[in-house]
Amino acid sequence: MAAPLELSCWGGGWGLPSVHSESLVVMAYAKFSGAPLKVNVIDNTWRGSRGDVPVLTTEDNFVSQPAKILNFLRKQKYNADYELSARQGADTLAYIALLEEKLLPAVLHTFWVESDNYFTVTKPWFASRIPFPLSLILPGRMSKGALNRILLTRGEPPLYHLREVEAQIYRDAKECLNLLSNRLGTSQFFFGDTPSTLDAYVFGFLAPLYKVRFPKVQLQEHLKQLSNLCRFCDDILNSYFRHSLGAFSCVNRKSAAD
Amino acid sequence: MSLVAEAFVSQIAAAEPWPENATLYQQLKGEQILLSDNAASLAVQAFLQMCNLPIKVVCRANAEYMSPSGKVPFIHVGNQVVSELGPIVQFVKAKGHSLSDGLDEVQKAEMKAYMELVNNMLLTAELYLQWCDEATVGEITHARYGSPYPWPLNHILAYQKQWEVRRKMKAIGWGKKTLDQVLEDVDQCCQALSQRLGTQPYFFNKQPTELDALVFGHLYTILTTQLTNDELSEKVKNYSNLLAFCRRIEQHYFEDHGKGSSSIRLS
Repeated sequence: MAAPLELSCWGGGWGLPSVHSESLVVMAYAKFSGAPLKVNVIDNTWRGSRGDVPVLTTEDNFVSQPAKILNFLRKQKYNADYELSARQGADTLAYIALLEEKLLPAVLHTFWVESDNYFTVTKPWFASRIPFPLSLILPGRMSKGALNRILLTRGEPPLYHLREVEAQIYRDAKECLNLLSNRLGTSQFFFGDTPSTLDAYVFGFLAPLYKVRFPKVQLQEHLKQLSNLCRFCDDILNSYFRHSLGAFSCVNRKSAAD
Repeated sequence: MSLVAEAFVSQIAAAEPWPENATLYQQLKGEQILLSDNAASLAVQAFLQMCNLPIKVVCRANAEYMSPSGKVPFIHVGNQVVSELGPIVQFVKAKGHSLSDGLDEVQKAEMKAYMELVNNMLLTAELYLQWCDEATVGEITHARYGSPYPWPLNHILAYQKQWEVRRKMKAIGWGKKTLDQVLEDVDQCCQALSQRLGTQPYFFNKQPTELDALVFGHLYTILTTQLTNDELSEKVKNYSNLLAFCRRIEQHYFEDHGKGSSSIRLS
């Protein structure tokens, strides 16, 4: 298409093009569908918005939220689901709902709520990419947003206690990972040999969990036992993101090879 | 419930067979119950009918507060109380009845995924319509939700619940959606369900599962509840195989048994 498509998103590290799940979903989808995307990584200058990341800008459009961005790309004829049957399209919607309901709370918890992880890994990483003095405020707000989301969707009114919910959300997440592993089986992608929207979503949610080095790792340990999901993430990273990795791994955290 | 408590309850559940006097509690049918709660209750009733387990439906104004998790419906079986479809399915499984045993791993994954789709899209859309759409809130929801209580409690409780639901909508990103976008999401969800169902009688061919019960609960309630406008039910009516599906389950599991079918018929 004539108009250049620019994507604003959080940057990468630990071998990933982006550490933020939603940004990663959009980047993966763009690669799968062949959309020419110019990626602007958010850094600690005041340029660019930090509000609703990831954000896609074209000459006269401004689209936020992964689902809307993917819809927009599809309308521009960048469609990764071209070869899917109607039923596979329906399955895609269902599995995305499963990811959002069962896996997302635990991923949010691992990144933003678990204190060891948040204070040693997540907060410094995000704070280094946000200009002062916002760097003092924004990570805290993101953490509160994550906690809020977990409690409001999983907590039981009127007393929202995190401890009761923690065990349940990790159990649900492990079950979800098992279900995904069963569904993937030995195929390369979820629907045959070409990657589609569902692969982008699963990659976006799993890759940060798989690669980022955390002190408290119970969900990561569980994921590492599901070798077909790990192989799935590695395959996508190697095939679609190999060239860009040099530009994206801003943080040199290669302490030990996997 | 913590893990230990749940294991303990499962063990106790397995020990006794299903009693004759099991009851299901929901809010008052005629004046109080709302769309989303009715859908949930109907789903549980359909599931229990499919398992051939007798259940008596009892309507209480304070059902929401009696429930252990704050959500309706809940069932009272023996000396245990279990709420919401997910835990009820597990509880019934511990007693030895299950609808999804015949499915293989991939099918079970699909079933769980579609159940989440219904919860994620249909249920959230119902909640949005009830509590965030001004017209519906003013005309229907507030009046119904507070109806068993005297003034000013009826207003206070309704506003409190509305505030809670709005908070939740905002947290999951539905706060900024317009009604049209929500209806579009409902349409997408119905399309996915319709495509998955195809020409089969149930979602996993010959035998109904908890997914069929859940879908029936929501779709039937949407089709038969009077709202301020018909847009929501029109979205469902576009898909003829979903309509046939609802009719089939209604005929097979609710009319045949002839027991208090007035408890199923709405408005």
